[in-house]
Amino acid sequence: MTGTGIRIGLVCGLLVFVFTGFAARLIDLQVSRHDYFAGIAAQKHGDLKRTPARRGRILDRNGEELAVNIPVRTVTADGTHIQDASALAAVVSPYLDIPAKELAEKLSTKRPYVVLKKRVPEEKAQEMMRALDRENLRGISLEEDAVRSYPNGEMLCHVLGYVDHDGRGVDGIEKTLESELAGHDGFRMTTRDRKGREIVLYRGQEQLPEDGSDIRLTIDMGLQAIVEREVEAAYRQYHPAGATGILADPNTGEILAMACRPNFDPNRYNEAKTEHLRDRAVSDMYEPGSTFKIVVASAALNEGIVDEKTRIFCENGHFSYGGKILKDHHGSGDLSVSEILMKSSNIGSAKMALRMSDASYYEYVRRFGFGEKTGIPLPGEISGRVNPPHRWDMLTKTRMAMGQSVAVTPMQMVAAMSTVANGGRLMKLRLVLNRGEGDAVQEVPPVRTVVSEKTAKFVSGALERVVSEQGTAPQARIEGFSVAGKTGTAQKNNPRGGYLENRFIVSFAGFLPAKNPKLMGLVIIDDAQIGAAANYGGLVAAPVFSKIGGEAARYLDLDPDSRQVMAQSGSAHSLAPNVP
Amino acid sequence: MNTKRRRPTNSIELDILARWILGAFLAGIAGLFFVYVKNRQHAVGNEARLVEAALAEVSKENEALKAKITVMTSRGALQRRLDEKSLKLEQIRDTAIARIAIPASVEPDGVLRTASADPENRIGAGTPQRAISR
Repeated sequence: MTGTGIRIGLVCGLLVFVFTGFAARLIDLQVSRHDYFAGIAAQKHGDLKRTPARRGRILDRNGEELAVNIPVRTVTADGTHIQDASALAAVVSPYLDIPAKELAEKLSTKRPYVVLKKRVPEEKAQEMMRALDRENLRGISLEEDAVRSYPNGEMLCHVLGYVDHDGRGVDGIEKTLESELAGHDGFRMTTRDRKGREIVLYRGQEQLPEDGSDIRLTIDMGLQAIVEREVEAAYRQYHPAGATGILADPNTGEILAMACRPNFDPNRYNEAKTEHLRDRAVSDMYEPGSTFKIVVASAALNEGIVDEKTRIFCENGHFSYGGKILKDHHGSGDLSVSEILMKSSNIGSAKMALRMSDASYYEYVRRFGFGEKTGIPLPGEISGRVNPPHRWDMLTKTRMAMGQSVAVTPMQMVAAMSTVANGGRLMKLRLVLNRGEGDAVQEVPPVRTVVSEKTAKFVSGALERVVSEQGTAPQARIEGFSVAGKTGTAQKNNPRGGYLENRFIVSFAGFLPAKNPKLMGLVIIDDAQIGAAANYGGLVAAPVFSKIGGEAARYLDLDPDSRQVMAQSGSAHSLAPNVP
Repeated sequence: MNTKRRRPTNSIELDILARWILGAFLAGIAGLFFVYVKNRQHAVGNEARLVEAALAEVSKENEALKAKITVMTSRGALQRRLDEKSLKLEQIRDTAIARIAIPASVEPDGVLRTASADPENRIGAGTPQRAISR
């Protein structure tokens, strides 16, 4: 081989060696360690962008917004794209209300994801981004977010509930209908260039968000405003431990308004006391007192144990039974069933209960819905307390007839009184009209028929007399409308046993117009700070019911069905009831 | 002996050369076209991104404004304005009300608001009892 041939061979060999090295390196980069480098590239340039779903709104039955979303932004920084932290901080600082020095420290990082500030108003965030564009600075980006807002503040707070910092429902409808309201977030795989801008060409998999459903409640905010105002007025006047007002449609079981005191502002729920967060309408149980007499009267009539003409001797106000004396507020001799309800006779009610078998009486109590949850979609509902007959002592039956030895929730009482009002059908109480189905409203059949229509009509007529001059609640009358209802005055339970002296839970449950009820209302005042002599359902709760009922009837433009005007009973509000 | 020696030359095969040149030209054109299309794709993608961002911004601003309107026209806000006497509630006598059942309707965005700038479209116009009556 000549010298030239050797040189050519060496050069070729060298080239082969070099290119073989290149090839080996290429194979190493592209094949052997492909996943590793692809991972680094994806980490640097790839991005999984979350597209948050819009939380459903909560509306009243007419479409008025009760809970809405206010769009805000989370401002984040990508340290790998920041070149001049101080300059960036100087521009961004005024928009985020963070001192420039503190911000510059935060931005002096190589971390790709740093949250600078959450809940920045949309307008402010956009202004900031425009300012950054003008200065040609990069490294800051915005993430979508929203805060829940309750435009009416404290109104309807216990029904609406509130959401936590992560936007999850914690209480009220926000909690019970969380799955419908929340929706499902979407996502988008993106690739960004070295300036951090998305390269649309390399956009990857994408899933659109599914927004949450708008929930339409049965609540009518016009009626709610009325109930809120009157309950608030009573709360300020009597300084009770609590006050509850509920309006419902007795024919459908729809809750039209409900308000409890004390209450809170769901926009600032973290400032509220635990006591204020409690929804007394579903989570409080109380001895109902005389309002419960509708149960024994309906049961005895429906079973044929008594009829419209039956007269029961009421022992002139003192009845010795089981070693105890049962008293009436005003002693009476023989009373019909209607008069027993009108005068709220404890003895008459007890004697009706005694004529029934334990099992039958207990069954009626349960059929009215007591001792079970109403199923209203609010968290924390309790079922009250109704002991079965095998746990009764000798006095239980007579005590239950007058609303003692039994504990109910305000919602159960609404359901029971609605049963009497609508002709004997126990309706399922409803708070949600529809769940994102537009204007569709599903009719809900009654849970069961509790008593015959005839029985319900008779009891309803008797309850109308309760509101007469001779009854216990003349102050519940409403100008132009016939009203039926029942007062309740129950001593408060002592947590250590027995009852608390001179402390009462007073209530009034009624409906109007009495013959063709369109509205059912319940008012409960827990431990009003007034003298025991004036602390009666007929004196404290009935006037509140009257005001609510009167304004609600005008609001709904109900046709007046009674010629009775308040002028004829001009002193109605000063009339003392005959009995509690 | 023939002394006239012909100098050896390589002939240029024009047809082959032309084919190669044409091939290279076509490949070049294809490459350039590919680059052009790719650049256009990037440019269009970038425009799409900007349009998307602008749409999202407008949509968010719209949502924020709607929420603001809701808050400003809520019952609580109207009540405050009533209390401050910047609004007045005039009672309409029963005799002045013509009772025609007007079905409740909502605005085009599906929301029933308690106040509207347009008196013609005000919800509950002619049914004063539906308005806030505190």
